[in-house]
Amino acid sequence: MEGQRYVVFLFLSVSYALKAEKILKAAGIVHKLIPVPRHISSDCGVCLRITEDRQQSVEGELRGKVEWDKAVLL
Amino acid sequence: MVQLMVGKEKGKEDRYMPVIIDARGLACPQPVIMAKKAIEENEQIIVQVDNDIAVENIRRLALKMACGFSVTEKEGGIREVALVRTGAIDETIEGRSFSAQEDELACAVVSGRETGPLVVVLSDNHMGRGNDVLGDILIRSFVHTLLQLKPLPDTVICYNAGVKLAVKDSAVIDDLQQLAKDGVDILVCGTCVNYFEIGDQVAAGHISNMYDIAETMAGAGRLLRP
Repeated sequence: MEGQRYVVFLFLSVSYALKAEKILKAAGIVHKLIPVPRHISSDCGVCLRITEDRQQSVEGELRGKVEWDKAVLL
Repeated sequence: MVQLMVGKEKGKEDRYMPVIIDARGLACPQPVIMAKKAIEENEQIIVQVDNDIAVENIRRLALKMACGFSVTEKEGGIREVALVRTGAIDETIEGRSFSAQEDELACAVVSGRETGPLVVVLSDNHMGRGNDVLGDILIRSFVHTLLQLKPLPDTVICYNAGVKLAVKDSAVIDDLQQLAKDGVDILVCGTCVNYFEIGDQVAAGHISNMYDIAETMAGAGRLLRP
């Protein structure tokens, strides 16, 4: 895991993040719900962290089901 | 004529003599506040302090304010901390502004080491009351954020429904395992895992008892309960 790069998906609301999490869980995509990193936003929000290699599949799963604000490489 | 020259030279030297601030015997955050005020008004200062917390806080101040920093040990546990302004005072470094609140926070964090262990109590698998869906998100964020605390907690105690956070299919099991790897002692209440019948699923920390839990809580310098 050392040196593994992550991407975080940011959402416009906590309920969108939760909805997206349910979709990823159902799709069996490993992910982690974490607080939005401080350098990205000072909001008290949560985002979904995935490994960089899963970005495409996550986007594929979420598209059309839940809107995301942006995906940021950590 | 000669005297005049000497006088002139002496005067010139005086301008480069550091201003000495006596902050001995003062508790955090007093020394760093005095140092900040003094370095804003002078090119060079020497702050006399008698504890490591003050030295550490002034070192951080030096970083923020782009000052040269050095410490000289003196007799009787006194440290002379020298600050020299090397550039214009810039309140923002990498776009971040430093507030008085942050100084106070630094104080609390640094002094915490001296007052006893930092103990985090996870007494539920939710954070706060009112809405369990939200409480679930919050506790996951909280446990993940513990990894970024400096210094790390000394001990994390899980009891009642909090033990559910330490089982193998918990959403924060990776965070708890990382905390354990980083040297945090994780106590998981044996009575509780027995009650929930999840004793065979505990995947972080070690099963503990009320003696250890009560002693650890009683001996804590600070106790966090989300």
